[in-house]
Amino acid sequence: MNFDLSNKKGLTRRKVLVGGAATMSVLAAPAYLRKATAATPIKIGIPTVITGGYAVLGSHVMRTAKLVEKMRNASGGVLGRPIEFIYKDTKGEPADCVRKCQELVERDDCRIFTGVVVSSEARAIMPKLEEWDAFFISHGNGDGRLTAEFYVDNFFRANTSAPMGARALALYLKDAEQKNFYAIGSDYAWGHSSVESFEAQITKVGKNISGTVFAPVGNKDYSTYITKILQSGAEGCYVALQGDEGRAFYSQAQQYGLSDRVQMVTEIVSQANIRALGNDSVGLVGGSRYPFTYENEANKNFLSAFQAEYDGEIPDWTDGEMYQALDILFKAMENADSDETKKIVAAMEGLEVDSVKGKTLMRECDHQGENQGFVVRVSDMGGSEPVPEILKIYPREMITPDCRSTSYSS
Amino acid sequence: MRFWLLLGTAILFSICIPFMVPYYAMTIVIAALIWGLFAMSLDLLVGYTRLYSFGHVASYGLGAYSSALLILHFDIPVPITIFLATGIATLIAVPITWICTRTHGVSFAMLTLAFAQLGYAMLFRFKEFTGGSNGLPGITRPAGPFGLDFFQSKIGYYYMVLAFLIASFLICRNIVNSPFGKVLSGIRENEMKTQALGYNVRNYKWFVAIMSYMFGSLSGALFTPYAGFASPELFFWLISGTVLIMVIVGGSGTLIGPIIGGIFFILLEHELSEITQLWPLAFGTVFIMFVLFFPQGIWGIFTTISKKSKSNPSESGHAHS
Amino acid sequence: MDFFSFLVIQSLNALSQASILFFIASGLTLIFGIMRIVNFAHGALYMLGAYIGYTVAIYTGSFFLALIIAPILVACFGIVFEKLLLSPLYKRQDGGAYLMVTFGLAVILAEAIKLTWGADPKGVQIPEMLRGIVIVFDFPFPKYRVFLIIIGVLMALSVWLFLEKTRIGLLVRAVSQNPQMVNALGTNVVFIRNLVFAIGCGLAGMGGVLAAPMVTAFLGMGSSVIIDAFVIVIIGGMGSFLGSIIGSLLVAFVLVFGAYYVPDLALAIIYLLMLIILIVRPGGLLGKEE
Repeated sequence: MNFDLSNKKGLTRRKVLVGGAATMSVLAAPAYLRKATAATPIKIGIPTVITGGYAVLGSHVMRTAKLVEKMRNASGGVLGRPIEFIYKDTKGEPADCVRKCQELVERDDCRIFTGVVVSSEARAIMPKLEEWDAFFISHGNGDGRLTAEFYVDNFFRANTSAPMGARALALYLKDAEQKNFYAIGSDYAWGHSSVESFEAQITKVGKNISGTVFAPVGNKDYSTYITKILQSGAEGCYVALQGDEGRAFYSQAQQYGLSDRVQMVTEIVSQANIRALGNDSVGLVGGSRYPFTYENEANKNFLSAFQAEYDGEIPDWTDGEMYQALDILFKAMENADSDETKKIVAAMEGLEVDSVKGKTLMRECDHQGENQGFVVRVSDMGGSEPVPEILKIYPREMITPDCRSTSYSS
Repeated sequence: MRFWLLLGTAILFSICIPFMVPYYAMTIVIAALIWGLFAMSLDLLVGYTRLYSFGHVASYGLGAYSSALLILHFDIPVPITIFLATGIATLIAVPITWICTRTHGVSFAMLTLAFAQLGYAMLFRFKEFTGGSNGLPGITRPAGPFGLDFFQSKIGYYYMVLAFLIASFLICRNIVNSPFGKVLSGIRENEMKTQALGYNVRNYKWFVAIMSYMFGSLSGALFTPYAGFASPELFFWLISGTVLIMVIVGGSGTLIGPIIGGIFFILLEHELSEITQLWPLAFGTVFIMFVLFFPQGIWGIFTTISKKSKSNPSESGHAHS
Repeated sequence: MDFFSFLVIQSLNALSQASILFFIASGLTLIFGIMRIVNFAHGALYMLGAYIGYTVAIYTGSFFLALIIAPILVACFGIVFEKLLLSPLYKRQDGGAYLMVTFGLAVILAEAIKLTWGADPKGVQIPEMLRGIVIVFDFPFPKYRVFLIIIGVLMALSVWLFLEKTRIGLLVRAVSQNPQMVNALGTNVVFIRNLVFAIGCGLAGMGGVLAAPMVTAFLGMGSSVIIDAFVIVIIGGMGSFLGSIIGSLLVAFVLVFGAYYVPDLALAIIYLLMLIILIVRPGGLLGKEE
């Protein structure tokens, strides 16, 4: 154990001084050691979920970051300096996330953050960015309000947000044969935001919602909800359930034969879930924040590097979004010729990048990345697992909401 | 008296900590103190009255959300907020503890759990008020009264938390050493006999539960201005288990033991997670080691050592498991 | 559909849900009844069963084999844990010690599972013969859930018969009432304890395998289920096997019908129910107050 604080009482003075000195040297050690290195690396903090319910997403964040670190440092780093990612475990808890970020700023002099998994964690650190003079770029936080009513200067969102995902899907469904939709969402911020966005968008394109229901977070048995959907007679069902809840829902829906009667659509299609569900996921139509099947130069290169490094593994949406976010971050830093927060902010506004998702523009007015919108269908293309087949790609101007808003005027 | 000497040394040591330890480390130190206070509050129930509560997180959460809402809506200065929030949470605790103390043993534990879970569900139900799953971010530390603002800095806040911790410890110590406290030991050792002796056991249990909730909500109230936000994780049932572990690791029935237990737990978790990604393995192992080899808890180890090296038995702390 | 068929369908939904809940809750209550241990690690054991079931199913291609082997392996693991870490604590008569040890185990087990199987969730396929639906009043109902109901009833019946009608069962019940007396009468109390602990773990493990095709095997499945298990056992009465059956049914029905009519209150209703029952009957419905 590093600390001697456990024996607060009954110590001799000598023990107190020795204990105090030992404590201080252990805590200060990393800083001391770092002074000895030659070229000061650019430090980027990754406060992500290493242990806890969302560990899957955190593991994807880390594997892509490690790949990027390797690739970049092999070709000279950024601004002629090596990049160094500092990984911290937040367990998905906002309080821990704030604490780890604070330590990154104060102990490691690290002021650039990305890779935060949970929207409520992002929400908790955003108000502190100004005080820390820190920069935060989201790779995967979906809550629409982060670039709307919760906007702060030092925050940028590179990824597709929940309203954007719902928008792409709704546009696609405009020409679909289904006329009425039921919507089921997870009873928390993202679930509500996603369903609201979908409702607003789908009614705009002339369809209607026959009902909505929200299942408590952590709910695992969806029999009642599936019954409700079947009863409603809706032809389509929008599913705003992610991760564990999403998988539980699709497995059970399959068992009820729901997909034979109802076309299921969703905002985020994730490869990890597809793999776990296997054939149960075939036929699902949804938005995809990053479909690895997208063909452009940047993605081709990313794909081959990723699969070479990770034994042929298919990159999931988090991997692609993380790669894009880092791409954008480093481009901004190079344009600004600096790693200082305010300079990065200035350089990133209006920055357009040819990323693995196409041409993405970081909008100046609210720091939202204008991404193309992908609608995919999970299909069996003969491989070891089903894959997202791209049905339609929407231009970014159609997908991104109005400035500082979660809605669309057009 | 020896007790005052030890206490004085500890206080002196704590006052010097900000000078011995790097600035960034103060963040975790403050958290450790808050948890130490939280654990001590539970000791009143667990260690002194043998009432195992599985829902102590309710006091923490109530205190935390109360102070969050007071600051958010009324911009009340921090020291006043702390007192007000503790008061509000304690008031809410009065009927809750009244219901819970109708029972004992496992039933008591389960009732406390039920209330805590209900509180958690309520957070999501009244999301316009509590912020739901987003919680309440953007909590500041309003200055005052009379222009007091030392606590707006991290070191200043540390001293404020330390002051509350020391004061709470002294108050609790007075309670357990008073005649009231003696009755509590009687209840702990043999409830029926104590009842037979004419004491209204029910009222004693109720009162100590209120005290326990009061100090628990104090720690929660201290948390929010420190962290800058309140979120539903503050009401999560796992915290009830965690704080119970802290009491036991520290040495229940000693007041100082759980404080140490809380501090130890937080610092251990923090340091381990910095060193390795496999920290849960080490963490779980540490606890199992404690159970097997140090059942009296950390404080128990200390008193055993000091007993062996001194001829007079130590006067403070009687290690209970 | 008309009200009657609606009732039937929802009841079937509830029964299938109750079945899984029963596997977890019954194990928890048996362990508490016999050893006065609140097993914090019970959710992790359930999760272990799901993951082991996944691996067995992959290697043997048979879900039914997984259903048999996984619970046995989890039970064995439970026995090892009990012998190594729990039995040294019996003479201490200390509730706090059990809490810590099972807490430590829960933490370690969850991490070990992540290290062994990775962070990605694992799918378990339903066997061919259990795929598809049966039509009940014009409504589809999965064959797999029918299977769940049947196996839940069979298991509940078996354990109940074991406890009530066999000699060992009698000893188990006696030990949970008064271990010293039973020991004095010559029975090997240690053996009884091991047996019950193993059964409790096995039930949890089996619950995990049964749940896997419905929710996939994933990290965090342990902690999400433990609180449900506690609620059921509290409602039914800690230590009462029959109570765990009733508790599972009650909770499942409230959840199913509650979610249908008042979905945003569903969770709160359960806790409110738990509160009311505890106030009226502090030991739970069938528990004996201590």
